[in-house]
Amino acid sequence: MSALLLVRLKIPDLTALTALDAGRALLPQGHELTRLVREEVYLFEAAPGAEASAFEPSIAHAVETSNFFVNPNKERYRLVRSGERGRTWDPPEGSWGILARPRGDTRDSGLLERLMREHPLQGLGAIRRARVWWLTTRAPGAKAGDDGAAAYTALGPVVDARHGLLVNPHSDVSLRLAGPTEWSRVEAFLAEPAPAAEPASSRA
Amino acid sequence: MTMARAAVIQIPGVNCEYESARALERAGIEAAIVRFNEPASVLSEFDAYLLPGGFAFQDRIRAGAVAAKLPAVERIAAEAERGKPVLGICNGAQVLVEAGLVPGIRPGRVELALAPNRAPRRQGYLCRWVWVQTGEGPGHATFAATLKSDAVVPLPMAHGEGRFETADPDVLRAIESEGLALFRYVAADGSPARGYPDDPNGAVLQAAGITNRAGNVLAFMPHPERAAVLKHVPLDLPGPWGDARRAASGSYEALEGAGPGAFLFAALAARLGVGPAGSEVGARKGAR
Repeated sequence: MSALLLVRLKIPDLTALTALDAGRALLPQGHELTRLVREEVYLFEAAPGAEASAFEPSIAHAVETSNFFVNPNKERYRLVRSGERGRTWDPPEGSWGILARPRGDTRDSGLLERLMREHPLQGLGAIRRARVWWLTTRAPGAKAGDDGAAAYTALGPVVDARHGLLVNPHSDVSLRLAGPTEWSRVEAFLAEPAPAAEPASSRA
Repeated sequence: MTMARAAVIQIPGVNCEYESARALERAGIEAAIVRFNEPASVLSEFDAYLLPGGFAFQDRIRAGAVAAKLPAVERIAAEAERGKPVLGICNGAQVLVEAGLVPGIRPGRVELALAPNRAPRRQGYLCRWVWVQTGEGPGHATFAATLKSDAVVPLPMAHGEGRFETADPDVLRAIESEGLALFRYVAADGSPARGYPDDPNGAVLQAAGITNRAGNVLAFMPHPERAAVLKHVPLDLPGPWGDARRAASGSYEALEGAGPGAFLFAALAARLGVGPAGSEVGARKGAR
């Protein structure tokens, strides 16, 4: 089990606005992209044999009283504790997500080392970093938002100059959060070694 | 003599367009700084293109990701397809990679990333001089013809995301077997880079510059335009180029002579039929 910290800007996010603008130009005819939110993800992973609940109060204190994770002048955050998060990670209403993480080791050992120096935490094994984009899209003719299947192709992993935007699959891997996603799947995605891409020779 | 003309593409956020244009001019190429939103017909008038360093669109989303979608880059891709040379330096390299212009194993596909630097206990932006070695490959005639194929040249680098990376083993094999990694980081004596600092970012194949298969498009992470003149060389740089710089102190004429980065612009000029074809600009005596 782990705890999750999500940090987003509360001032206008110019990166998200640029992505919104660039993304609209890439969508198939008739599709709409109405909202795009970017959040930085910190996964606090328990050390072997430990429980996240052991360090969560200290993490909450560290987040609130230090500048390791959040600059309260410009950012807001949400700490999702292991005991209160439920079985699934649910996208914001009407949205779907693209969770992206670097290939290779996602652990930020430098951040962990600095944190432990100032806030010694019992049971914390690793801090993993990722980013999530929450998109609100609408398919042609639909009255409400969709799960983003078509928009993911247009705005997710880059294929060529006209397809894909938010993730370069050669440096990052991504997971579409089309709806409620089990936390165990999210944790596995963030922790496991990234799979190699399909060789070009086997693609159409 | 007919003048060759190169367009230095000015995208919001780039900051090396003027020194890039000066480096081209010194090599005998007429350089014009062309804004990213000029009509395609304007861009088509040029013989070559240079995408300079900087931070196009503030590196939002990812370095080069937004600029790669510009109509101007699409036009440059079309001109590259016709054989015109295209040089991307640092951020310009990131744009070319994100636009799928290099390595072009499957033309148009994005087959590489320029990922964050990776070195033990180091993160983020890194600015220092490095040594690169030229290889054989399809890009040699356009971008390194003024150098011997194993020449070692010191150049400044300045980037946070310069690690050439691919998740596709077929692409990696093709880059290696076809000599597309035209420039590689090495130690100052030309021996292989074995980790930081000789290998500053952990790129695959220690690649500092990768070309397309046709050899007319180069994505190059170091900054040759910041080493185009001898006075650019730091006084404490070891090796023949540092010796030359120290010896030139006090002589305006000598300091204005060719620096270690001049070779690339001279090669480009030779490719375009202007400048000192056949000379060995940049191959300083004593350098490997």
